[in-house]
Amino acid sequence: MNYTAVFYWSLAVTAMGLVLTGIWGVLTRRNVLRIALAFTLADTGVNLLLVWTGFLPGRGAPIMDGTVSSVVDPLPQALVLTSIVIGVAVAALFVVVGVLASRKSGSADVRRMKELKW
Amino acid sequence: MIRNLAGLIITAAAAAVLFAMAPGLDVPEELHGPAGYYVENGLEETGSVNLVTAIVVAYRGMDTLGEVVVLFSASTAVVLILTLIPMATGPSRPSPVVELTARVLPGAISLFGIYVVTHGHLSPGGGFPGGAVVASSFLLVLLGTTGMPGSSRLLTAVESLAGISFGLMGFWGAMILGQFLNSTVIPGGTPGTLVSAGLIPLISLAIGAKVASELSGVFASYRKKGGEA
Amino acid sequence: MSPELLAAIAAGTGVMMLAAAVAALTVKKLISAIIITGFVSLSASVLFFLMNAPDVAITEASIGAAASTVIFLWGRGRIGGDDQ
Repeated sequence: MNYTAVFYWSLAVTAMGLVLTGIWGVLTRRNVLRIALAFTLADTGVNLLLVWTGFLPGRGAPIMDGTVSSVVDPLPQALVLTSIVIGVAVAALFVVVGVLASRKSGSADVRRMKELKW
Repeated sequence: MIRNLAGLIITAAAAAVLFAMAPGLDVPEELHGPAGYYVENGLEETGSVNLVTAIVVAYRGMDTLGEVVVLFSASTAVVLILTLIPMATGPSRPSPVVELTARVLPGAISLFGIYVVTHGHLSPGGGFPGGAVVASSFLLVLLGTTGMPGSSRLLTAVESLAGISFGLMGFWGAMILGQFLNSTVIPGGTPGTLVSAGLIPLISLAIGAKVASELSGVFASYRKKGGEA
Repeated sequence: MSPELLAAIAAGTGVMMLAAAVAALTVKKLISAIIITGFVSLSASVLFFLMNAPDVAITEASIGAAASTVIFLWGRGRIGGDDQ
């Protein structure tokens, strides 16, 4: 059994599964904080998938201290660094707006938050 | 019921799209394009041993500047909402274990955070995780006391100064070498030592200070009662 | 690390993460859901390390598992009440 292929593809399946779980959670959950949690799960899954596309099995980490000759792709890792920080900023805003909306409409159920009056 | 069914159908459609693209992903043998260029020339051009920090700060410095702006706007919005709208219920007294830990540990945690920030070009780390570690030591101090945090003006001043200095260092590179955020304005230093890699340690310091003060400001605003300036 | 060990760790962690993600969205108590999400972030940090990305692992562990969990815990403290 090709264990390297199992290792390689199980990472991708985990990441895709996280993204799909996050999408399902955003669509079906009622509590606004659970929707924020599902969004964070999907964000983690997307970051995993991005780093996975730059992963070449058998190569080392992208730190060239003289002993490493071949490295994995450093470009997706740089992009994912940015993405993780932006993900936490979006989560903070999501939670604050969700708490505000639940206070205004009286419950944390998104089916009750229908007053989009402009 | 309809909601769950529709959610499952949409998730199944998304799964079909994701797995349809899976056969097209194969393992490349070598790095092409910009990644290959960064791997081959990164160490000589920037002097930084950590390639990811070299890309984030030097080669793709504009993206990092945009990310700093996004983080700034999000944290400002959160603090603004929490200041204008009263929401807090007042803190409860922490248990003795938390109080003792909050007196002993924050020094060591902040030291580790500063180490991660300043050694961003030598070992894994950089401005963003180091700033988050320093902010978590501030959070530990907050959790161990019951009083209000009194230093929010200092946090705002540090955050603004760090952001401005990031932009000013970019302009310094533009004035001397003609390229915004060129990191070789400070020459010299052997790669692998602390004093090397041009502007990269200074920019990492600015980013670390900015992220630490931003996250600390957000945590401090959770503690305040709101409705006051 | 040997390929068998890597495959075992990656597959085991992956199955655990997917089960935890579904559990985080279906348990009754909100605070359990928040802590399980922090655990998923921490496992993602382990997977990042297995993919030879130490920078991303440190960043995900410090920001995703710590700061994000604190933000959600604050929100749960304000909302109260647990349901789906």
